[in-house]
Amino acid sequence: MNALFQQVYDFVEERIGLKTLEAKLMKEPIKGGSRWAYVFGSVLLFIFIMQAITGMLLMFYYIPSADHAYASTQFIIHEVDYGWYILSYHFWGSSAMVVMVFAHMSQVFLWGAYKKPREMVWLVGLALFGLVMAFGFTGYLLPWDQRAYWATTVGVEIMDKTPVIGDFLARFLKGGPTPGQMTLSRFFVIHVMILPGALMGLAGLHLFLFRSAGPAGPFRGTPDELKAKTDFFFPRQVWKDIMAMGVVFLIISTLALIEPVQLLEQATPDPGDYHPEPEWYFLFLFQLLRWKVFSGEFGQFLGAIAIPGLFMLLLVALPFIDRNPERNIFKRPIALLCWAVVMIGITVLTVSAILNREFLD
Amino acid sequence: MMEHMGLQPKIKSTVRCLDGPIGEVSHVIADPLTLEVSHIVVKSNGTERQVPVETIRSADENTVELSCKSAQVPEFPAFVRADFLSSKEVEIPHLEDRIHAEPGEIFVPFPELERSCARRTFFTGFTTLMGVLIGFPFVWPVLQYVMKPMYAPFDNRWWKIGNTSKIKQEDIGVQFTFKKSFRDSVLQREEDKNNWVVKASPATLKQIYQHGDITFTDNVGNVVWVNRATVPYVAYSGKCPHLGCGYKWRSHKTRGQVFLCPCHLSIYDVAGTVLDGPAPRPLDVLPIKISPAGEIEVIDIEFKAGKREQVRIA
Repeated sequence: MNALFQQVYDFVEERIGLKTLEAKLMKEPIKGGSRWAYVFGSVLLFIFIMQAITGMLLMFYYIPSADHAYASTQFIIHEVDYGWYILSYHFWGSSAMVVMVFAHMSQVFLWGAYKKPREMVWLVGLALFGLVMAFGFTGYLLPWDQRAYWATTVGVEIMDKTPVIGDFLARFLKGGPTPGQMTLSRFFVIHVMILPGALMGLAGLHLFLFRSAGPAGPFRGTPDELKAKTDFFFPRQVWKDIMAMGVVFLIISTLALIEPVQLLEQATPDPGDYHPEPEWYFLFLFQLLRWKVFSGEFGQFLGAIAIPGLFMLLLVALPFIDRNPERNIFKRPIALLCWAVVMIGITVLTVSAILNREFLD
Repeated sequence: MMEHMGLQPKIKSTVRCLDGPIGEVSHVIADPLTLEVSHIVVKSNGTERQVPVETIRSADENTVELSCKSAQVPEFPAFVRADFLSSKEVEIPHLEDRIHAEPGEIFVPFPELERSCARRTFFTGFTTLMGVLIGFPFVWPVLQYVMKPMYAPFDNRWWKIGNTSKIKQEDIGVQFTFKKSFRDSVLQREEDKNNWVVKASPATLKQIYQHGDITFTDNVGNVVWVNRATVPYVAYSGKCPHLGCGYKWRSHKTRGQVFLCPCHLSIYDVAGTVLDGPAPRPLDVLPIKISPAGEIEVIDIEFKAGKREQVRIA
């Protein structure tokens, strides 16, 4: 058996240079050594692969039509063996993805790893962040229940407020003036074809750029100290990565088990007793739009488009504005303060949106 | 390591002619098809010359012996860098696996056809042009294809939504839901739609009709219907003018009975006026017809949310 394996290995090696490939993939020296702080990127890749697998499995039964989407989702939950688990894993996996994206971006920000020569890694990373949010938004409609319908209705109305292209964008996404079958078809194809394709391409580019620039390493330590602790990507970092993936897998599975997906009523333009609300990771934006300062046509543009847009632009410009090579976060008080303000802001808005629920009933 | 028949002269080896040393091997030139060394580049008195491998009599670790005399060496063609490409500048699979030339370089001849700059520019331009010619005719059909349903004409049908007998009191919001069946793509679907009807007191009516009769138009601006203050019933679209959620009739702790949207907490009075919250305009009044028997009919118009002015979209 070993001999056969060796023969196959040699066959491939002769043609594509497996050893070089292996060396390139696994023997990347990590300055200052492997760390738990570096697991987020790998964990994101793992979550994405699991989302792709569970997503493909869901498509075995899901029917993307306005009169069958809801029923077929219920069928997955209630009749297909372990359908509830696959769907709930996919659902909680999307939340895990968002949490992990925030963790990954925070780590890169705090470590100053977006700075020269890693600007392009950061830029492609931001595009990937956008894709993850788009995944969440488009996937949310597919079960075609009330939660899905209203999150989409409001979300698309928000995009409609983009200057110049807003109306076109909203109609393009809805496939008409109002949400219906065309909306479901479009969200479906965006969610299962366009976004995964874009994500795979950009994630590949992200990794390529990261490997080209090399890992940033710790922000403290003399070159000699860093050299002394340097190890390869494999095995110590891979071991930490796979441990983190295991933990994430356990958490998502546990959430799927104790809090499986349950649908509301089928989607319809009458909300009944349901108080529309987006998925938790959009709650801060939702709560922001309740503020009096963001009232009226202009206020709404400010809150829904201008502020999030400027924030994203600021992130894009970040490596070009912040050209100080200092990476130690404790010597970058403004950066630390900004990060804290954003995180606290998002937390406070999210919590107040949750507290607001009580006053509505 | 791969088996390999070809000659592998060592860089920096001393090159000896029949009558003595003349210089050293600085680079090698490979045949890009056979991946074998065709020439060695011999550096002698500051000049580099291409010496064919056939001239090599023998080679060991440190020395390459040539089968010619040193007087013949100047007859070998000079090595002109521009006539060659380094293995770093071209993609020739396995070339570097086969031949090792460190600390020198492996060169392959610069293909004759690749030297004309003018043709390179022409081909670049031509390739771009062809790309555009292929892509351009595709743009319009694709755009039309995806835009097909985006600008559907307005639906001006009247819908029976219920009877006024359901409304017991003036100036309160009463929800009327009805089944709207319609063709959606190839599906025949039915949706629950939701409107609010108010039996307006004279004061409320005055507030609603403060700018006179309310006119509704179709896509091209033709008047479809006019609501007049003589009808005391007012129907509001169930869609919140803020961002399109469904609002409700609720009692508010300080404002009494109001229309309240649970999404972003816009509050409207019974006349649809914004009392609080982020909404940019009052509730949208719909065309309404009341039959002598009290049957309420509306045109289920939809306006774009989030605009100060009403923009009809359906």
